Amino acid sequence: MSEGIWNRMQRIDRRVLYWILFVGLMIPFIRPIGLPIAIKSSTRDLYEELRQVEEGEVAVLSISSGVSAWAECLPSMVACMKVLVQQNAKIIGWTTFIDGPLTWDKIVSLVPGLEEYTYGEDYVWFGYFAGAETGVAQLASDIRSVFTADYYGTPIDELQIMKDVNDVHDIKLVLSSDTGDACDYYIRQWHTPYGTPVAEVGIAMQGSAYMPHYRAGILFGMSVGVRGGAEMEKLINEPGNATVSMDAINISHIMLVIVVVLSNVGYIMTRGKR
Amino acid sequence: MYPTDPWGLLGLWTALLLMLMIYSYPLYKENVFYRFAEHLFIGTGLAIAVITAIQTTNKIAITPLGHGKLIYIVPILLGFAMYLLLHPDYRWVSRYPMAMLVGSAIGLGMRGVLIPFILTQVIDTITAPVGGNAMAWFNFVFIAIGTFCSVMYFLLTIEHKGAIKYPTRLGRWFIMLGLGAYFGNTVLFRMSMLAGRAQFFLQVLKIIPM
Repeated sequence: MSEGIWNRMQRIDRRVLYWILFVGLMIPFIRPIGLPIAIKSSTRDLYEELRQVEEGEVAVLSISSGVSAWAECLPSMVACMKVLVQQNAKIIGWTTFIDGPLTWDKIVSLVPGLEEYTYGEDYVWFGYFAGAETGVAQLASDIRSVFTADYYGTPIDELQIMKDVNDVHDIKLVLSSDTGDACDYYIRQWHTPYGTPVAEVGIAMQGSAYMPHYRAGILFGMSVGVRGGAEMEKLINEPGNATVSMDAINISHIMLVIVVVLSNVGYIMTRGKR
Repeated sequence: MYPTDPWGLLGLWTALLLMLMIYSYPLYKENVFYRFAEHLFIGTGLAIAVITAIQTTNKIAITPLGHGKLIYIVPILLGFAMYLLLHPDYRWVSRYPMAMLVGSAIGLGMRGVLIPFILTQVIDTITAPVGGNAMAWFNFVFIAIGTFCSVMYFLLTIEHKGAIKYPTRLGRWFIMLGLGAYFGNTVLFRMSMLAGRAQFFLQVLKIIPM
């Protein structure tokens, strides 16, 4: 009898699990639980460094994450932009992803402070550039050799913000939002040769990948995944999408842990009887 | 903000419909709606990529060439030479731009590898925390032992027995722990994406505010 239960437990149709997961994830959005969010030192360091940016200093937001990663990266990017706007920093955006412009438009729509900013004077969007690490290296030595105009076709020399910005020396810091290894490009081509501070605003997978760099002081901060976004939202005292999503994420983890435990128990119980 | 204009509404409901078509595969089984959405997604993505590539080539190479900067003929020719890969008789030509691409990427990559990826990491691993609390010391010892044992595991020139039997076995555990953490974060990323879609589903149906 008991063997039957254990065997059946291992033969649960995966579609049943997917349905439970999909429906289960919706519940916290309808009835939020409000679990507490602890702030990691890596996120706090990112916030503190952004707070050190002085008025008029230039920060770069490099978007190497696609629309598919909005759930993970967007809240952090929006929170970082809000801090930069509060500091009256100038912001330059560019992307190595072809759908990067959609992400930029979304960020602009979610940062109310940008309405008081003047495009071309306080912030600018250059859009896509090719070449990945080669392009990043070239941007360090001469931005004008990569971009001759902004995303909307305005010549770079007509943009007020670019008047005194030519290369890496005119940039205060870089926020690299990526789902892959784009942050490595900035570490190799901007931080190592020129000492430009670099931070990672990435997906959860980047947490373990870039933690050694943060610990070693190569990255000045990190905000990874929805949790990073929720931490940033807590730090700027503006609960947003990431804060709401955290309950759903926690529920999904609990469900996954239960499934993993049950399947392992089932495996162990039937192992000797095979 | 929930869209009120017809195009906004159409976009929203199309997105929801396509999302459900894609999810019909894991939630039900492979079907014609899933395949339609999948092909549409790949086709649209490819079209955008091709247009972006043409626009970029035009912006960074063809336009400057038109303004008399003849040097840009070199990257354009090298780019076209890549496509000779498809022609059996002239495939050898494509090796030159490929060699340039790989060579420049390796050269650029190597420039910044040594200090941040090797030296700084080694220094950070062997430097004891100054004035740190018990947790900082635990982390220091844990990472030091973990690094040492994990590196030992890759000593493949000698058999893992005798004095190095237990350090290499411990190293294997550390590697498994590291890979487990990485996999856990990968799953977390997928869950976040799913949560985002679940939220979108509820928002379109006006169950929660957009």
